[in-house]
Amino acid sequence: MLEARNLHKAFGQVRVTNDVSIAVEKGERRVVLGPNGAGKTTLFNILVGELSPTSGTIRLGGEDVTGHSVEARAKRGLARSYQKNNLFNDLTIRDNLALAIATATGAASRMGDTLRDPAIVERIEEVAARVNLRELLDQPVDSVSYGARRQLEVGLALATNPRVLLMDEPTSGVGPEMIRAFHDLLKSLPRDLTVLIIEHDMDLAFDVADQVTVLNYGEVVFEGTPGDTRESSLVNEIYLGGSVDA
Amino acid sequence: MFQQTRTKTITIVLLLAGMALYTGFAGFYGRELIIEAAYLVILAISLDLVAGYGGMISLCHGAIFGIGAYVFAVLTSMYDISPLIALPAAIVAGAIFGLFVGAVTSKTSGIFFIMTTLAFGQMVYVYVFENRALGGDDGLSGVERIDLSWLGLDMGNSMQFAWFSIVLAGLAYVVAAAVLRSGFGRTLVGIRSNEGRMRALGLPVRRYKAVAFAISGALAALAGTIAAQQTMFVSPQMMGWMMSGEALVIVILGGLGTLVGPAVGAVLFVFLQHEVSELTRYWHMIVGIVLILVVVLGNRGAYGQIEHMIMHRRRPVAPAKSSLEAASEQEESHA
Repeated sequence: MLEARNLHKAFGQVRVTNDVSIAVEKGERRVVLGPNGAGKTTLFNILVGELSPTSGTIRLGGEDVTGHSVEARAKRGLARSYQKNNLFNDLTIRDNLALAIATATGAASRMGDTLRDPAIVERIEEVAARVNLRELLDQPVDSVSYGARRQLEVGLALATNPRVLLMDEPTSGVGPEMIRAFHDLLKSLPRDLTVLIIEHDMDLAFDVADQVTVLNYGEVVFEGTPGDTRESSLVNEIYLGGSVDA
Repeated sequence: MFQQTRTKTITIVLLLAGMALYTGFAGFYGRELIIEAAYLVILAISLDLVAGYGGMISLCHGAIFGIGAYVFAVLTSMYDISPLIALPAAIVAGAIFGLFVGAVTSKTSGIFFIMTTLAFGQMVYVYVFENRALGGDDGLSGVERIDLSWLGLDMGNSMQFAWFSIVLAGLAYVVAAAVLRSGFGRTLVGIRSNEGRMRALGLPVRRYKAVAFAISGALAALAGTIAAQQTMFVSPQMMGWMMSGEALVIVILGGLGTLVGPAVGAVLFVFLQHEVSELTRYWHMIVGIVLILVVVLGNRGAYGQIEHMIMHRRRPVAPAKSSLEAASEQEESHA
């Protein structure tokens, strides 16, 4: 579904992405692990088109999208959420979701009032229910708490009804209850949706992942099932800070 | 997001009705002022559409206003084309120029956007100023007024021409409000709020910005055709950067991003200009002081401040939390 081959990205002398190849099947849940600065977010930025790779190719659903713009990739069903909230802060949560839905459905170019379109109103309610924001729909984003903004961050990406969803540390900085709810959300997503998650919460990562990719210094150093990852001494060394017995 | 609130409806209706009523009491000069206010209302609405809602602070709206006036003037005075055709032609010309400027500038933002629009505006100004065929710095006279005798109206009559201008101002407001209420208008506000995220959601942002600029250009050109008809004369002075600056002053004076505010600002501006210039030659200074006051006192503009006070009579104190977080906190406090 999403396949990247031999991606390289360098800022001057610094190689932030070094020969990264990753292939995610349709419906797969892939968790990307790695210490800070391993190039996880850079990889996401390259995949969605916010950064262009120095070399390498990216295919989405079989189509080469390497030269495509961010919006062209999004139109083809590639959505992402951000590690740092990237929302419409001066608008209400309802308006935020409406913008995402209208863009995805084409209502953004129509002369009709988006919020009077029953299909869109219904979809707003549906997404809001998914990310537990129903009772806050009419609050402006800048008046709601950090946690609610994290939920909206994921909600915006979900609202576009993507084929491939990239989530960059969706649970960073939120409480245990919310991590659990996010867990449930992940499990409730349609099985044909392809999901890539950068995650620091190990329990969550190992529980939801079909496959785990570990990055270090911009390179893929490990790829395998959650079980293999847990057992891997290399991963223990670089990521979990454990000692190497081998 | 734009909402046609009751406050907005009451204000715009009262404003336009007040202008229409005033033409009955005022003499010829007073009516001329109302006509000027009416086309400035349209120009200010057109600028607020892109600046207030789209976040595109344009310094070429004076030039688009001038394009509208000149296309109308050239067609009626030089080619003897009926004003009924020249008027829509001028609007289309403004839209095309707006689309072009919007498309070229859509990649830039902030100060670079402002400077690029200024450059476009000055290019048009200098072209007209130097072009003898367009009358150069002398301008063009012999501009016709639209013939509405088939509606029983005499446009040669200053009162009836003032009504006509007020009706067009009302129409311009209705069009702008309809655009802003639509999916397109909401998307425009989304671009102002967070252009990068709109792109990430899959929106071809540059196309939307260009189309918004085209709609705005059409309205600005309409304002220009009224100005050309009022004095039956056009000159490059009406399209220089001073005009663009004045339009921006009006928008800020009334309230950027409120749509009704700029309309109020236009009337306020003409009133200030007229009243204060009777007292002192330095009326620009007084306008300047009022502008500084507006900016210092919360930057909402005359109408924007009133609207803010009406809408925020009760403000929530604590940040709203989702049910989950509340649960999280409860859990923590029990632990």
